[in-house]
Amino acid sequence: MDRRTLLKTAAGIAALATAGSSIFPRRARADGNVLRVGLDSEVLTLDPIKTVYGPDIICQGVMFARLRRTDAQNNQLFPALAESWEVSGDGKTYTFHLTDAKFSDGSTITAEDVAFSYNRMRWQKDSAYAGPFQQFDKAEASGAKTVIMHMKEAFTPFLTLVSIWNSGIVPKAAVTSMGDDKYALAPVSSGPFRLKEWRKGDRVILEKNPYYYRQGMPYLDGIEFRYVPDDNTRVQMLQGGEIDACINVPYPLIAGLTAQGFQIPENPASIIQELLINHSAEPFNDIKVRQAASYGIDRKAICDAVTLGHGKPASSLMAPVLNYFNTDLPVIARDVAKAKSLLAAAGKPSVTFELVISAGVTTDERTAILMQSQLAEVGFTVNIAKVDSTEEWNRLVDGKYQATLNWWYNETRDPDNALRWAIWGDGDNKSYYTRYNNPKVNQLLDQGAAIPDGDQRKAIYFEAQKISFEEVAQIGLYYPNYHDGMSAKVQGFVLNPGYQYSTIDEVKLG
Amino acid sequence: MDRFAFILRRPLQLIPVLIGISFVTFVLAQLTPGDPVRIMLGPRATESAIAAVRARYGLDQPILVQYGYYMLNLLRADFGQSLEFRSSVLAVILERLWPTVFLLLYGLTLSVLLTLTLAIAAARRQGQWVDQAVRLFCVTALGVPSFWLGLMLIILFSLRLRLFPVSGFGESFLGNLWHLFLPALAITIAVAPILTRNLRATLVTQLAADYATAGRSKGLPESFVFYRHVFWNSLLPTISLLGIVVSFLIGGTVVVEWVFNIQGLGQLMVRAVLTRDYFVVQGVTLFFAVGVVITNFLVDVVTVALDPRIKL
Repeated sequence: MDRRTLLKTAAGIAALATAGSSIFPRRARADGNVLRVGLDSEVLTLDPIKTVYGPDIICQGVMFARLRRTDAQNNQLFPALAESWEVSGDGKTYTFHLTDAKFSDGSTITAEDVAFSYNRMRWQKDSAYAGPFQQFDKAEASGAKTVIMHMKEAFTPFLTLVSIWNSGIVPKAAVTSMGDDKYALAPVSSGPFRLKEWRKGDRVILEKNPYYYRQGMPYLDGIEFRYVPDDNTRVQMLQGGEIDACINVPYPLIAGLTAQGFQIPENPASIIQELLINHSAEPFNDIKVRQAASYGIDRKAICDAVTLGHGKPASSLMAPVLNYFNTDLPVIARDVAKAKSLLAAAGKPSVTFELVISAGVTTDERTAILMQSQLAEVGFTVNIAKVDSTEEWNRLVDGKYQATLNWWYNETRDPDNALRWAIWGDGDNKSYYTRYNNPKVNQLLDQGAAIPDGDQRKAIYFEAQKISFEEVAQIGLYYPNYHDGMSAKVQGFVLNPGYQYSTIDEVKLG
Repeated sequence: MDRFAFILRRPLQLIPVLIGISFVTFVLAQLTPGDPVRIMLGPRATESAIAAVRARYGLDQPILVQYGYYMLNLLRADFGQSLEFRSSVLAVILERLWPTVFLLLYGLTLSVLLTLTLAIAAARRQGQWVDQAVRLFCVTALGVPSFWLGLMLIILFSLRLRLFPVSGFGESFLGNLWHLFLPALAITIAVAPILTRNLRATLVTQLAADYATAGRSKGLPESFVFYRHVFWNSLLPTISLLGIVVSFLIGGTVVVEWVFNIQGLGQLMVRAVLTRDYFVVQGVTLFFAVGVVITNFLVDVVTVALDPRIKL
């Protein structure tokens, strides 16, 4: 090979590179009436029963219609695929009457499809989130437009659960003929939008479902959910006009973006940020040590320093947007003297523990450092261990930790699922893996699920929150607001407290 | 033996390398604590669903049994299933291969052009202000971290001047060139100084070599001495160095990919490690290994082509 051949080869490689990019054609950009949203994580599956993962839930939420839908506050519920329903006197049987509606391929949504969707979600082995529906037993079609749902016991939260993403209705014919794996990649859907193109690793492109049951809706022609992992890049794309909205604007950037005319609506989330403590290990198996830590922490200082005022310090162990939130409980004011005396009473004037946090999560790193210095004055030596998030989960689930920072949210406003997640010792997550287990609390939660809404139910949930608060089941820190950014032209795009764009069909680009 | 014949043996050397790499990454990945299934289903997934999915992917089997299955499947070009993406590893990798390859070629092309310009300018005016300026640029650029540089480029060229997009890959070839200009520039600013310093030093040495002096004494014009003799004789060390830089950049583009939101192999690798997506880690590692071997192979070809003395 001489130099000339070498040059020719180089030219050949360059030509190949040019050809390469036409082998992988990219479609032209969508037109103006498409909402482009930057998400911090990537959509991984479009089968609503296969996931409890944030971006999946958001994307599936706008693709699948449910029996009932909620408003932007996740508060009021409206008829959706079910135009009406009745509950039997013993609260064990629900009868839903379906409205005329079609799937995104034009086929009719029948009672058979609804029963299939519910039974699949409840009983299929790899259904990821059957937990909240545990009292629901089975659904059966009665004629083309009536579905009867049987509960094992009376189950009040059911009428709110029928609005969450994994109770979205899927077509029996398509799921059974395609099989689960293929369906998850190219689903026929029932909600306002249907899949147009899925560029793995980059974006999910949805288009208006022409068969959507709400006449004249959605107003948008489509939505693109783009995967942009870096917080700063996401904000820069918003500023540069490459996306119309983005999730999780870092707190320090909120003021600047607002000043530039972007909207950052301060909608309440149902999120609680908290310190999880292991009740089955030293030192937090001792209630006095737990209480000492609780009095030693300045929740307001942490909330202000981390959220820069975009949140509220925590009082209960669930978020204030949930029904029956116990308003009698105070935000504990920091009291170093009391904390010290509690430690002394426990016979442990100095306590050392390891605080496991997820490396790279800025808010957690800040919280941990503040907590470390606040607790030092009480007599705690806090060793911060930064691990990656996968390992953090592993240690949490296996109970190989003393304390760790974590958060959760709730899909509905009903407290049943929330408190069962957080403090129900009979659950398979052992009170969010804290191993807190108070039979009285467990019993209260079982009762609360069964009785109808009203003062009695309220009293039960107030009591459960009070007990778990006094026993310091966990240490709630703060309730953050959502901090999503969007350009001025986006109208009505609201993430409800249950982590759903439940009014997506009414969103407009002005 | 023909001087290119040895090159044909190179692919055979790949086999033991790949087996070794696959075994080490497989065992290391599996020994790292953390459960990929919990991450893929979401933390609130029920324990029974997690167990069902683990069983389905064979993650409940002993590590060596899993490795055995993995190698058997590899013989049929089956790289396994990605847990996170719920599709085949090969498909996941191919979806992200092109942006990385394109970015690498683009960044290297710019780097080589800049290196040639700067090194030649500096070497031919040794000690003059051009030379000093090039040296200053090299020292400064070497000290700038890529992620910071990336952010600064975005703020200046995308948000202030609105010349280039903040992120993305683009739709056509020209679109690719336009979208990837800033990331390629970030790579160039990281790579060009290394190459420039090397090439400039060699050029300066070769300019003072006896054969160059002999050429000048016979009345050859300076530019002829430089471009026909000195230049070609100076390229070899820089090309070897280029090979090393490319090996380093393969997979090392992750910082640039992250800042500019380019969905390439580097980003995929980091994610897969964090979510313990074992077979993706495995697959990407094998691709990187093949990439490094191919790079070395090309460097050998070019070296042999440039230097007729080399016979291996």
